[in-house]
Amino acid sequence: MRFMIIRKADAETEAGVMPTEELVDAMMKYNAEMVDAGIMLAGDGLQPSSRGARVRFSGGRPMVTDGPFAEAKELVAGFSVIDVASLDEAVEWVKRWPREDGHGEVEIEIRPLYEVDAFGDAFTARIREQDERMRARAAELHPPS
Amino acid sequence: MRFMILVKANADSEAGTLPSTEELAEMGRYNEELVKAGVMLAGEGLHASSKGARVKFSGSERTVVDGPFTGELLAGFWLIQVKSREEAVEWVRRIPFREGEVEIRQVAEAADFAPSDPTGELMAAEERLRAQVAAQQA
Repeated sequence: MRFMIIRKADAETEAGVMPTEELVDAMMKYNAEMVDAGIMLAGDGLQPSSRGARVRFSGGRPMVTDGPFAEAKELVAGFSVIDVASLDEAVEWVKRWPREDGHGEVEIEIRPLYEVDAFGDAFTARIREQDERMRARAAELHPPS
Repeated sequence: MRFMILVKANADSEAGTLPSTEELAEMGRYNEELVKAGVMLAGEGLHASSKGARVKFSGSERTVVDGPFTGELLAGFWLIQVKSREEAVEWVRRIPFREGEVEIRQVAEAADFAPSDPTGELMAAEERLRAQVAAQQA
């Protein structure tokens, strides 16, 4: 099962405070353990919401608002995608999150990703084929590097 | 530049209501446009938060709380590669949503962490890790 591991934002991530060398080092070691275990699929950090935007759709019409956005703890500061056997296993990995992050005060959300099978009959053979083609093409254009 | 397009959850996504065949087909067409333009890196949907969990760290304590959760939640995301923030906004405007909210956030690149990595050693280590992940997925 694939899970998205969401590192919630806080005042420092929203202020664009650079991680200490110690934190980057600890995070790298943690990521390396997940890579060595063969469970790591992706992982990235996000710039503060001040560099972002929101688009709200109403009646199909988009309306754009520039960041920053309030409620840092509701925002996302970074994410990983891992592939493990169960939610429990995902939780066990997350419990090992580096203590150096957020001065030891951090909130992480773990969410399972939809796999194509979950869509049942609505995911027709044609759409499934389109999805597979799309993923293959995206991988071809942008090999994970 | 890479951007993450975060799709906010709503009552339907939190209830686990699946999109209709029409909606899936429409989203498929949009995704295909992203792929054809060479901007698509990844795109995924998240199950309702009732199937997830949160881990809170405070000092040496770790508290695990099972979902569902309230507040602002995610329902899915795209990762795209474009030349500018404006280009990212233009792609987002074309998402076939009738109602809803989407957030656009720039992804940090290894070079952005240079101040925390004076010797470049950590950036090199990250490149090795990413190469290892790519090899595992190939």
